[in-house]
Amino acid sequence: MKNMHTNGNNGSQTTPIIEISDLKVHYGDKSALNGISFDVYKNEILGIIGPAQSGKTTLLKVINRTLEFTSQTSIEGSVKLDGVDISTIGDVYGLRRRIGMVLPLPVGLPLSIYDNVAFAPRTAGVRAKSELNEIVERCLQQAALWDEVKDRLDTLGTKLSGGQQQRLTIARALSHQPEILCLDEFSIAVDPVTTMRIEDVLDTLRTEMTILLVTNLVQQAKRLADRTAFMLNGDLVEIDTTDVIFSDNPANQATYDYVNGNFG
Amino acid sequence: MNSLMTHPNPRQKFVLQGIALVILGAVFFPVWNVLKKTHVSDVPISSVARVPDPLSNLFNDLYFFLSISFLAILLGVTCAFYLQEWLPETNWVRRLVENQVSILSGIPSLLYGLLAVLIFLPYSGVIQKIETVSSDGNVGAASLKATVFQGDTTLFYAMLLTFVILVMPRVIKTTQAALRSVPMPIRESAYALGASRSQVLMKHVVPIAFPLILAGGCRAMSCAFATAALFIGVCIWSHAPQSGQMTGGFVLFLGGSLILSILSSFLIERYSPVPTRNT
Repeated sequence: MKNMHTNGNNGSQTTPIIEISDLKVHYGDKSALNGISFDVYKNEILGIIGPAQSGKTTLLKVINRTLEFTSQTSIEGSVKLDGVDISTIGDVYGLRRRIGMVLPLPVGLPLSIYDNVAFAPRTAGVRAKSELNEIVERCLQQAALWDEVKDRLDTLGTKLSGGQQQRLTIARALSHQPEILCLDEFSIAVDPVTTMRIEDVLDTLRTEMTILLVTNLVQQAKRLADRTAFMLNGDLVEIDTTDVIFSDNPANQATYDYVNGNFG
Repeated sequence: MNSLMTHPNPRQKFVLQGIALVILGAVFFPVWNVLKKTHVSDVPISSVARVPDPLSNLFNDLYFFLSISFLAILLGVTCAFYLQEWLPETNWVRRLVENQVSILSGIPSLLYGLLAVLIFLPYSGVIQKIETVSSDGNVGAASLKATVFQGDTTLFYAMLLTFVILVMPRVIKTTQAALRSVPMPIRESAYALGASRSQVLMKHVVPIAFPLILAGGCRAMSCAFATAALFIGVCIWSHAPQSGQMTGGFVLFLGGSLILSILSSFLIERYSPVPTRNT
């Protein structure tokens, strides 16, 4: 339905894993997304930037179908994951396991560190202790948290500091080996040093999965993303390679203003 | 989409509450009719006062009382879970029930006690039984109790009914509030990990909300106990207790009420979820 874009940095990013076409979302009478269309390619980092109220979080919630818990919402248009419309997927829990989600503020589930990470594999039916141990260690190492918590895996996850909790939520999101990782402004509650550590983690993950990085820090998108989308008031203003978006002449003047801090 | 139930404006909300009030009125009107026809001589306080010695078989009584309370609380909690977790906010049954519940839970428990003594007891047919048994003269407390509680289930139902309408609205209201107090991000992140609704409910929502649900149950029970204590007290003071045996029941219920209310305050103080910074 869409032409194969070759916007990605290299040729491997031409297979769309998510195809969004004419997506409209309303909260009651208020419109949050007014018909946006774009593709996300396999194994790319797509940065999504834009001011508050531009529909970034809503977009992520549509993709993993957690928007269904918000009342009085209506969704039009289609979101396809590997060519399958997600609204027709019967096993919504399976769908959510294919998509990791990291929320803006760290939400430690009221469980121990170990159980936080082992929660998703357990719900997916993994029971063997050795397998769980392995998953927990791998995910905590991937999230650069293993060295700090390896001696106290049975303390409550909510007792960790903000930055550690955010890395714990990343470890948790990785625990079910998602194909797509959605990060929703993960660096809000995290100090710059930790942010850099998490960015390094994301950099190493880019070969394994597709990452949707919603961020308020435009420089973060510049550092990490292969392509960047700029959203404003529920519209997709522009999507292009990060180099173009951050160059002196992106297609849209608003993009240039936002990226260069001249906005509003 | 833009119907009455999904987006009620203030006027429509007013209409909904009006309907709720009318339904409540329709239920209470027959009750009022019965009440009007009740003569003071029918009021069985004297008979209640003559039910002998509730302490003679303390544990049986406690067992009886607690099992009724347990049933009423269980019913209330189940209703609240169904309303809060299964019915969408826009469901009209949920709106109507919530309106009713908030009206019912605001009525002082004393009025429910009066309802029980003035309506349920005289019309449950149990009083006559007590009267006949007591008129025999020296009937042992044990045999009387056996007749009342085991031979006839009407008193059980009268008590159950009172408990249900006294305790249930309060329990529904507090349980719903407890479930609502579980931070939304916790549910969202659990769902995002692929957990099913029952897994989210059993592993996250219930463990967090449980102390507050318990506190709500305790508070409702405390109201019920206090009302029971009051009526037992009135019986004692108005009928010069020769035996003094009712005092035991009075102390039992009053103490129980106090302990339960302190327990519920403690639970609320200790286990209320800290408001999260997230929206």
